[in-house]
Amino acid sequence: MYQLTDVSKEFRRGALTIPAVSHLNLTVSEGEWLAVRGRTGHGKSTLLNLLGGLDRPTSGQVLLDGRDLARLGDTALTRLRAATIGFVFQTFNLIPTLSAAENVEAALVPLGSRAGSGGEAGAGAGGSRRQRVATALDSVGLSDRMRHLPSQLSGGQQQRVAIARALVKDPKVLLADEPTGNLDTDTRDEIIALLEKLWRERGLTLILVSHDTTVTRRAQRVAVMDRGHAHFE
Amino acid sequence: MFFLTYLTRELRRRSRQAIFIALGLAVGVGLVITVTAASAGVRNAQAGVLKGLYGVGTDITVTGKPPAAPSNSGTSGSGSTGGGTRISLGIGPGGGQICTNGRCKSLKDGYTLDTLAPENNPPLSAASVAKVRGLHGVAAAAGGLLLTDNQVTISQNPSPPTSFTVDGTDLSQPKLGPLSNAALTKGRLFTAADATKDVALVDSGYATSNSLKVGKTMKIGGVTFTIVGLVTQPQGSNPADVYIPLARAQTVGTNGPQGKALKNQVNTIYVTAASASDISALQGAIAKALPSADVTSASSLASEVTGSLASTAKLANDLGKWLSFLVLIAAFALAVLLTMAAVARRVSEFGTLKAMGWRGRRIIAQVMGESAVVGLLGAAVGVGFGFAGAAIINAIAPKLTAILSVATGQRIATPSGVVNPTSSSTVSVPMVATVSATVIGVAVLLALAGGLLAGTFASWRISRLRPAAAIGKVG
Repeated sequence: MYQLTDVSKEFRRGALTIPAVSHLNLTVSEGEWLAVRGRTGHGKSTLLNLLGGLDRPTSGQVLLDGRDLARLGDTALTRLRAATIGFVFQTFNLIPTLSAAENVEAALVPLGSRAGSGGEAGAGAGGSRRQRVATALDSVGLSDRMRHLPSQLSGGQQQRVAIARALVKDPKVLLADEPTGNLDTDTRDEIIALLEKLWRERGLTLILVSHDTTVTRRAQRVAVMDRGHAHFE
Repeated sequence: MFFLTYLTRELRRRSRQAIFIALGLAVGVGLVITVTAASAGVRNAQAGVLKGLYGVGTDITVTGKPPAAPSNSGTSGSGSTGGGTRISLGIGPGGGQICTNGRCKSLKDGYTLDTLAPENNPPLSAASVAKVRGLHGVAAAAGGLLLTDNQVTISQNPSPPTSFTVDGTDLSQPKLGPLSNAALTKGRLFTAADATKDVALVDSGYATSNSLKVGKTMKIGGVTFTIVGLVTQPQGSNPADVYIPLARAQTVGTNGPQGKALKNQVNTIYVTAASASDISALQGAIAKALPSADVTSASSLASEVTGSLASTAKLANDLGKWLSFLVLIAAFALAVLLTMAAVARRVSEFGTLKAMGWRGRRIIAQVMGESAVVGLLGAAVGVGFGFAGAAIINAIAPKLTAILSVATGQRIATPSGVVNPTSSSTVSVPMVATVSATVIGVAVLLALAGGLLAGTFASWRISRLRPAAAIGKVG
């Protein structure tokens, strides 16, 4: 699925060059759950951004199903993200003015007609937008909170909405950046259990960044980022 | 559908800020509308004054140049005509005596000396009209005779002399000259058949103060004319008291008391230019063709109009336009800054959308949509402000006055040289600030442009967002 070869990413702050990822080589198989852990500032999130096509490497290759994300144009990369990759963030990143259902629907907007017309009669191969949104929210146990605004939901519920938003488009890859970082222990366990369930049911490739070993040890494989280099436990 | 849902929700969330931006734009737009309405009102008032002077379709007027004054002017009771003829009038115990160049004629007691002659502008040959008409860029030209009728009755107990102004009108050119601007209040207007008849139209104000009515007669230059109609000129104009056919004015009028008839002569030529942009060039061409005439365009005439009307016009044109321009710029800047600030607060949101696969232009369209709605809201409120501003101006603006300086046609030699005295008349001009549909359209576009300008700056910011940085975590 993913093939990273000699990938480096540097950030420039004036005259200073900060290496975030250095000469990284990594392979992630389809359907694999890889956890990435490490201390703050050691390149975990940078790696995730490179895998998600949110950032480009300074050097090296990031192949996703044979396509080099570093060489894809902005439009192609945007299309790829829209159809293939789902993101879950630590701070949920829900749009505060939209309801839970509308937040989930926002992920289908870039897919246009491929995501259904939005009307009852417009159900396509993947069902209408509304049906897909309802199914996604049902799969995270929030079918009764569809009309609620993020501010009317608990942290755990907001993260569930974010997971539904990431999965509503049936992506091949789910990238989760500290998905339990803002949650209490009980809710953390619920969310991790939910992610594990969805990973198993859907055959997702799940790459999860966390500094929490309780979370990372549930993964099939754990990569530890240390000063931009990765080694595996 | 999602576009509208997202747009309305965002505007509702930032309603205070959206209202603030819209109000800023509204104030700017409202001021532009108010100032434009006031300017239009002043312009209309000015146009009314100028139209009243020379009629609706006149772009240029040509008048005879006053002759040079003799080195010693006449004494009381005597005067000179444009041709240097010396005239004196005396009243003695047995009657009166009028002398022209030393040749005297006795006048019996009770005799009325009625003279219809040009007062301000000396005559031009009627051929001048044809000459002007033949110039390139002239759409139409008509001659006219602006005369003054002076009546003095010889009596041992003399009453003060009376005078009224008479306009000899070319009936073949009804769309040119002062009469073209007049509205009929009673009777009828001139027809082509009246060209050689002793018929007159009387200004309704003059008719009222002199008890003149349609069907009655009046003496003009010693000839009895029948009044066929009463007319009124627009407010703010300086109308003639009586209008008669040009051909009759040329026959009845003389070049001063005991002078020659004005046959084939005019003293004003009204010219319509083929194109408004040709007026200046045409003015020069006429001056070249008729070196003995004064050539005046409406714009040069406007510069001679003074009084509060001119001051208001200057205020509206200078201060008003700059003020509205500055307020509009401030409103635009406010809209841009607040929208940029809003975008800065939404960086993470836009980054998330980009991460989800939203294209930059889709996000920009969303922000532009929000800005356009704010702009339209500002336009709607601004139009209301504009109407309110115009209404306030109409309610509180004092009546304006225009002071029109008119050359008397005399030249007086003084120790420091020859001077051309002018007489001035003050006319009261109502100013009505009017808001036109065009101004509303422009104002709406301005507000929309302000909103979209703000959206454009915001879009520029969004287009430069790197999703990874926007999401806010670089590990």
